[in-house]
Order: sequence, then C-alpha cells, then structure tokens
Amino acid sequence: MRKVMLFTLSIALAGSAAAQGTIKIGAITSITGRFAEFGKMQLAGFKVGVAEVNRKGGIGGRKIELLIEDNASDVNKGLAAAERLVNAGVPLVINEYSSSLVKAQAQYLARQKVPNLVITSSGDDITKPGSDYIFRLNQPATEYARVILNIFRDKKFKTMAVIAGTGAFEKSVADAAQVIAKEYGISIVEDQRYDKGLTDFRPVLNRIKAKNPDGLLMVSYAEDSVALMRQAREVGVKPRLFAGGAAGFALPEFVKDSGSAAESVITATAWIPQLRYPGVQKLNVELVKALGGHEPSYHAAQAYAGVIVAAEAIRRAGNTDREKVKEALNSVNMQTAFGPIQFKDYDGFRNQNPLVMVAQQVQGGKFVPIYPKSVVPKAIKFER
Amino acid sequence: MDQVAVTAFFQTLVQGLLTGGLYALIGTGLSLIFGVMKVINFAHGDFLAIGMFITLALFRTLNIDPYLSLLVAAPVGFALGYAIQRFVLTRLGDRLGEGSMLATLGLGLIISNTLLLGFGAQPQSINVPYAIKTFSFAGVQVSIPLLVAGLGTLVVIAGLNLLLYRTELGRAIRATAQNPLGAELQGVRTANIQAIVFGMGVAFAAIAGVLLMPLLYAFPTVGENYTTKAFIVTVLGGLGNLPGAVVGGLVLGVIESLGAFYVSNNYRDAYGLIAFLLVLLLRPEGLFGKTVKRV
Repeated sequence: MRKVMLFTLSIALAGSAAAQGTIKIGAITSITGRFAEFGKMQLAGFKVGVAEVNRKGGIGGRKIELLIEDNASDVNKGLAAAERLVNAGVPLVINEYSSSLVKAQAQYLARQKVPNLVITSSGDDITKPGSDYIFRLNQPATEYARVILNIFRDKKFKTMAVIAGTGAFEKSVADAAQVIAKEYGISIVEDQRYDKGLTDFRPVLNRIKAKNPDGLLMVSYAEDSVALMRQAREVGVKPRLFAGGAAGFALPEFVKDSGSAAESVITATAWIPQLRYPGVQKLNVELVKALGGHEPSYHAAQAYAGVIVAAEAIRRAGNTDREKVKEALNSVNMQTAFGPIQFKDYDGFRNQNPLVMVAQQVQGGKFVPIYPKSVVPKAIKFER
Repeated sequence: MDQVAVTAFFQTLVQGLLTGGLYALIGTGLSLIFGVMKVINFAHGDFLAIGMFITLALFRTLNIDPYLSLLVAAPVGFALGYAIQRFVLTRLGDRLGEGSMLATLGLGLIISNTLLLGFGAQPQSINVPYAIKTFSFAGVQVSIPLLVAGLGTLVVIAGLNLLLYRTELGRAIRATAQNPLGAELQGVRTANIQAIVFGMGVAFAAIAGVLLMPLLYAFPTVGENYTTKAFIVTVLGGLGNLPGAVVGGLVLGVIESLGAFYVSNNYRDAYGLIAFLLVLLLRPEGLFGKTVKRV
C-alpha cells in the first residue's frame, strides 16, 4: 500500500516538474566534506554541460536544470540526498565521486527504480554485478590498475609494491593490481593497506625501501597522496617508477602541494586535455573558465559528460518517465569530449562504458601524457 | 639480519623517536594542566589544530615561513588558554571536575567547527622547499622537519623545566599544584597561576601544531586524533608527571612505528591503545608515576 502511494506521489511530482517547463535532472556530489575538492571539479563540469545543452536548444525546446544535492562526503547524508531526489521526481540521477558513497546511493536508487548514471566512482562492484538501473560512463577501477601495470610490463619490471587505502575505490584498484600482476608475471613484494586518517607512512615505506621493488603503486585520496610522496622521498624509497592509481595523484593540487616530491610520479587518469576526441580543447577552455582559471581534473570532464549523456537519454526517451529513460540509456551510443559512450555488458560488468585509461607523468612540475600511443606520449623518466 | 634490514630498523626507530617527541610535547601540555588544576582538557588536540591553521593562514596570506609562525601561534595559544581558564573554567563552580570536563569538550567542538567555517573541510597542506629535505647518517635517512620538531620539543621541555625549578613563577606553580589553599595563604595568586598554566598548556599544543605543519596536512578535526594520543602519553607516563609525559611520548612514538613496521600498518593506532590498557591494568599510576599529584 505504502509503495503504491509513494509511486503515485512520485508520478504526481514528475508531472508537476514537467509542467514547469524546465526538465530537472538529479545530481549528487560532495559540495562539503573531505571530497569537496572533487565536488568543486564536478560542479564546474555540471555547469559547462548544462550550459551547452541549453545553448543547443535543450531537450525538445525545453531547457534542463540540475537539482544538485550535497552528500557532505558522508554515506548517510548521501542516502538522504538520494531520497530527496527520488521524492523530487527526477527522471534520472547523476551520481558522483567516492565509491563508498556511490555504492550505497546506487543500490538505493536501483531499489527505487530510478536510473542512475555514475560518472566518476570506479569501484568495480558498482557495475559488477550491477543492476538494470545503474549505468557507468567512466572506467572501472580495474582499468586504473591495468594502465599502470601495462607500463610496468612494457618496461620489464619484475617486482612491485602496493600501498592502498581500505576504501572501496582504493581496495578495488589494489585488488585488481594483484590479479593483473599475476597475469603479467610481476611479483608483488609488499601489499600494505591503511585505514583513512593514517598520516605517518614512514614505517611502511621503510619496509618497502628494504625490498627495493621496481615499481610502487599507491592508491589514495587527495591528502594522503601528498603525504605519501613527501614521506617516500624522505625515507629514500627508490623504485624505478612511483605510480599513483589516479584519485589524489591525478589532481592539480597533488603537484602543487607536493612540490618537487611529485616529480616523475606517473598516474593513471581518466581524461586529459591532450586526448584526441572531438571538442576536447573547447571543453578544457570552458572548464578552466568555470573553475575561475584553475586547471580542471578528469572529474570535471566526467561531470560534463554525465550531463550530456543524461540529456541525450531523456531526448531519446521522449519524456521523463524513469522506465523510458532507463531503456534509452541502454541505446545511447555517442561521442563526447570525454570519450565515446556506449553502455555494454562484458567481463561480468553490466551497463558499463568500455573506455581506455590514460597515464601521465609529472615532468618539470606539470602533467604530460605518457600512455597510450594515441595521446602522443612523451618519453617516461625513471627514478633510477 | 642483513644490512638493509638493520638500516630499516634504525630508520624506523629514529622516526618513531622523533614522532614520539611531538607526542611528548602535546602530552606535556595536557599533563601540566592536569597536574596543577586536576582539569582534563578534552580540547587539547583542537588547540593543536589552531596552531596548524594559524601557520597555514600566515603562509597562505603573507607567505610567512611555518617556523616563524611560532612567534604568533605560541602567544595566541597562551592568551587563549589564559582567557579560557580565567573567564570560563574558574566560573563553573566545579564539583568533581565535571563542569570543566564538559566545558573543554564543548570548547573543542566550538574550535573545530569554527575552523571548518573559516577554512573548509578539505585537508590542506603547505609546500615548503625543506618539507622533503633529509640528511643521511650511516645510511639512516632523517627528515629535517621531523628533526626540527624533535629538537623543538626538547627546547620547549627544557625551558619548562628551567621555569618550574629555577624561577619564582615556577615555585608558585609548584606550590599551587601541591596545595592551592596553602599557596593562596602564602600570598600566591593561585587564580592567576592557574590561568598561566592553562595558557602554557595550550601554547605547547599550538607549538606542536606549528611544528607538524611542514610535515602534515591540516583539517578542522585533525585534533581528535591528537587528543587521544595526548591521553595515552599522559597515562603511560603517569597523570600530572612531566618527565613521565616525555618518556610516555617517546615510548608511544616508538611502539607505533615499530609495530607498523614489523607487524602491520593497519593497527598503528591500536598499538598505543593496547599499551594504554596494559598500563592501566598493571600500573594504574603510570610507568613512572610514584604519586598522582606531582608536577
């Protein structure tokens, strides 16, 4: 009975939203809290995406608008944010950054039968096994590990060490690295996981220094990436390559705050302005403008693509009915400045966009692309 | 053990001792306040956060070197502590210390939320050229900022000792700690002394915050972790026992580092808590405490 009432209520709300003229699309991000840095990037991406859709005439002449909810970087507040959007009758929710948060939000939205477009969060388990209602346009965590290990394999690395947080994203990447390393014949001499809040990595780094691995893969968020690299330099770990599994390592702040400690660190990243997709340069210019002159990270480009794809799905659906939008997402096949978008089922993933990752390296205080060939790579610099 | 393992052990040990020095500095402040006033300061870590954010703000706005911020953070910490004791804690008409306990808890919340309002929740670090400077001694890499922090602690604690045992103010402080009523009857203005002591305790926490800034990032709730550490240090050494707090800090730093190195990194914070529980069970007066009421 309650379910029926909720259902009628949501239809009524959807109806009233339609009557107002603009199409309201839900979006959740971390405007406050420890992921606020990423939230800032995504808000910029949303802004650019909405402006572009509306400039091109919106959807069937109707402008779009994002209902943005803050999850305050907190699981419970994230669920409350998702609930508010469900009750607001949005046809679709664009879902954001931290895998630990998005997992819970996505499961709730799937239960409520609201299509969920995941744009940044990359824990494998979000689309593996996934749900009919969860679609992901960004690369899953496995790909973050794979691009780094591809480089390690190409450079004939024999040994590597892993330091990763225990959050959903870090765990996904580190676990994937275990599997891929085995496949590639690279032995993992040390695999250390840490809980968030740890700020002294020296003992672990001492351990790794004693093992002297060829490569060191670090998977951590913004604050820890700076601490890790500073302390790695301090204790004198010298692998042939320091590698970051994106997240904190791919942020412009990482280079700024780590200073010389960041030099020659490579990182996986989902998107860079040097990619050769149509509209990349233009998008970069607009994102820089939206960020008040700051360099965008890939999270901003993903948020932009999320809006473009959401608008395309609603356009294809012909209205804002959630079931129709879900069907439409299945048929999306388009080229964006973030990359090609088409949701597929493969390798146990469901509704997952198969997209390659890029690797970049800090050279002279700036990120330069080093992998794959399609980005016109620069030569990789080694520590030793 | 081969050469590499020996070097790694010593490197971990040295880093543990230097980190422990910082814990000692934080613990000394807490212990001093407890020793004189029997007040358990739950806002201690938040005062450390204030020190960190003062450093951050000065660096961001005026590009002032983190260590120079000591000249601002220490007096500000002292003034803040003095004012809190004078205008808040003494007015609570304290029975059994409940009032001051709750008041310091509340103060901690006010401080961390004010910092949140002013600086935002995201962790922020500063990039100084010497942040990753090291020197090598027999193959052991020692971080310069970590060494400065360790030496800074030594200087502060030595200064405190001189103050306590060589000056008139120190005598007054010790007298107030031993017997406030007796001291008052001898003409010591104990209210003033207590405020000075609280100010000093807060200043120590703020100094520790400044010394940490080149090494760590700051965020508004960074203090929580350090309040816990300060408690562990104080209990390890014996409540109100200053030399005990110093040794307690060093012990905690070493236990944590070696535990993380040899056993597992994941339980880093647990090693200190286990030591804490063991000491509470086996020697409730602390490793070095003879009586609980010493300064």
